[in-house]
Amino acid sequence: MTKISKASQTEKQQSSRRDFFRKTAAYSVSALAAASVMAPVKINAEDDPAIMEEKKWGTTFGYPVTHNLYGQPSPYEHIVTRRNTKLLSSGNYYASIAMCPIHESMGIITPNGLFFSRSHGGTAEIDPNEHRLMIHGLVEKPLVLTMDELKKYPSVSRIHFIECPANGGPEWRGPQFPSIQFAKGMMSCAEWTGVYIKDILKDLGLKKEARWMLAEGVDNSHMGRTIPIDKVLDDAMIVWGQNGEALRPEQGYPIRLLVPGWEGNLCVKWLGRLEFASEPFYAKEETAKYSALKPSGKAIQHFYANEVNSVITSPCPDKPWTDLKKGDLVEIEGLAWSGMGTIEGVDISFDGGKNWVEASLKGLVLPKAWTRFSFMYKYEGKPLLLSSRARDDAGHIQPTVKHEREVMGVESVYHRNGIFTWEVTAKGEVNNVQVLS
Amino acid sequence: MFKSYHKLILSTVLVASTATTAVFAKYADASRTYTNGKKVIDGGSTYPVKSNKTSAYHVNTKADKGGFSFGRKPTANEIKAWDIDVMPDGTGLPEGKGTVEEGDEIYEEKCSACHFDFGTGGSGYPALQKGNAYEGQKSLTNQRVGGNDEGPMRVFGTYWPHASTLWWYIKTGMPHPAPMSLTNDEVYALVAYIVSINELKIDGEELDDEYELNREKFLKIVMPNKDGFIPKIDGPKGLENVRKFFNDFKNYGNGTRCMKNCFNGKPVLARISGSGISDYEPPITTKRSMPAAKEGAAEAPGKKTYEASCAVCHATDAMGAPPVGNKKAWAAVLEKGIDKVYHNAINGKGGMPPKGGTSLADDKIKEVINYMVGASK
Repeated sequence: MTKISKASQTEKQQSSRRDFFRKTAAYSVSALAAASVMAPVKINAEDDPAIMEEKKWGTTFGYPVTHNLYGQPSPYEHIVTRRNTKLLSSGNYYASIAMCPIHESMGIITPNGLFFSRSHGGTAEIDPNEHRLMIHGLVEKPLVLTMDELKKYPSVSRIHFIECPANGGPEWRGPQFPSIQFAKGMMSCAEWTGVYIKDILKDLGLKKEARWMLAEGVDNSHMGRTIPIDKVLDDAMIVWGQNGEALRPEQGYPIRLLVPGWEGNLCVKWLGRLEFASEPFYAKEETAKYSALKPSGKAIQHFYANEVNSVITSPCPDKPWTDLKKGDLVEIEGLAWSGMGTIEGVDISFDGGKNWVEASLKGLVLPKAWTRFSFMYKYEGKPLLLSSRARDDAGHIQPTVKHEREVMGVESVYHRNGIFTWEVTAKGEVNNVQVLS
Repeated sequence: MFKSYHKLILSTVLVASTATTAVFAKYADASRTYTNGKKVIDGGSTYPVKSNKTSAYHVNTKADKGGFSFGRKPTANEIKAWDIDVMPDGTGLPEGKGTVEEGDEIYEEKCSACHFDFGTGGSGYPALQKGNAYEGQKSLTNQRVGGNDEGPMRVFGTYWPHASTLWWYIKTGMPHPAPMSLTNDEVYALVAYIVSINELKIDGEELDDEYELNREKFLKIVMPNKDGFIPKIDGPKGLENVRKFFNDFKNYGNGTRCMKNCFNGKPVLARISGSGISDYEPPITTKRSMPAAKEGAAEAPGKKTYEASCAVCHATDAMGAPPVGNKKAWAAVLEKGIDKVYHNAINGKGGMPPKGGTSLADDKIKEVINYMVGASK
């Protein structure tokens, strides 16, 4: 045994360590190296590089748990966003709407960041510590609550869609949008958490002459709407939770009214005040707007529930069938909803509504909530006119465009629920059309 | 053993027969009648709690009995401060006065930028009049079908059922960038002006420039379309009228479940004319590739200031101001050089008030201009 100095021994160890690191570094430079180390692989032309090549996410660290304290979608999902168009703005983007990408929606829950957003004076950012809810008018005991006090009431969670009654409204006189996001994206669906107003009223002594409730926001628009007492005492809620977290500012943080199934506009955001009265209030958004003009010249005011409706979400112009081959088995999928009850069933047609077959419902089927329907189809590369027709448990069935026009004319702006049709071309492109037969 | 088995069979049969005969297959508790015996108000279904459940949801019925003591009684002053609505019978309408001429002046200063001269509207901002309201009201039966392109006129004078809505809305929602900033007298003056440009009479009297509106005269305004709305919601029968209306599906239409040969011949199609409306922001795509990283991806200086103070006019071309993002408009602005742009923005030019009506420091104005120029290349 040769005696070597301690210093040289250390040096030797260090050098072999350096070699190791150098080698490892060399391997990781080449994307292929790691695979080659295990077993040398030759890549052939038919091999998928996505499989054959080592990826940086498999050979380096990801980001640490400290990175996103509030999680974000994958950056590759950047195309899934709300969208807007100048046409649907009252002059500026403060009184405007951002449409939900319903073609990218999965299941029946809309993520909070994608929930459609309508405001009449911008999105208010309210300090919850400086916000109050006041309940007054025809009650024996008026009440004012801080947000902490309000949240002490027993909570209720319910899955409901919210839909602007103008969803599809620009298309009364014919199709306009080559996109489902714009043709039908004024709606979303979430699990809401809050308190039934009837549970608060139990202690306030509602007077018997109270027939109407004004709900008013404290944002720039101070928007008010009148709700009949029947709905208040049935299922109307004050909500602070949306899909398991606080409401987003775009949805009225810290609290909004939720009137299940009824016009989105009635679900007053940034809610500050509930006043009970014997007479209706005639707010701007229930006279000048949100009233549906019929051909008789009379307008339906207080048009509450969004009627039974449906739309095929796959295929659609935003997600066409251009990548299908003849003979592919593919799912036709869509959303059905009714503000008047629970979806009973959905029929679909391949010839624009002349003949119909029943589709399957799938997943949860809940009152006043988005409901998924599905139909398995063998793609033949032939032109189609794809329509869907939903019905609910109160006896409402989606009308044809023709019937809806006979009753409502074309100037009603709101509450359009006529049967929706996509034209699928031989190439699998999808166009927005209306069947007038 | 046998007994319970028998029971099971029986209940299965029962369930099966209910499912085939009942109108409501999804939830047995679905009803079109409330527990108080009244029909549902909206023509839909309601789901009363039975056996601690409503439709698919379980319920803690002990939570529904009241007995809570949270919160406090608001003071009379607090209620007064927040009770800002104005009802058709004058409830909530304060005293005050203002003339048509005063209204005209306030309108020019605070309203015309969006609603244009004489309330003609444009660029997405609503019109406040369409000529004589009594004549215009007759347009409400117009339908834009069969080549008729004259639609119904739905402005204040021709359509709204009550003037109280206008007073309330102006007081609490206008001017759009600064609501709750008008005095009661200013609101009376603006209402007088808007009534006059709609050529509405009050108590038989036309409104000239000197006409002074006050609470008493305001309550005499009768809108031409006051009877233009259904169902009738006023008075003790209001709710019952609503209930009746929505439970008669014919009032708003209902389909039929035809399955075969539902119409004659080939379907008649309506298509999008031209390429339709497709100026979407951002454009729609199905490609999940990452966009190339933009230079200086960090928030541009001036962006926040722009959004807070300048976007009201510069976001679109509605106000006649060069819209941010419009290359052509900004190329024209920059013709005489950036210093001239700074100068005009700080000192005002045409419709642009000095510093856009803000009190920002000069260097902040320059920063925001740099941002707007950069975003419009």
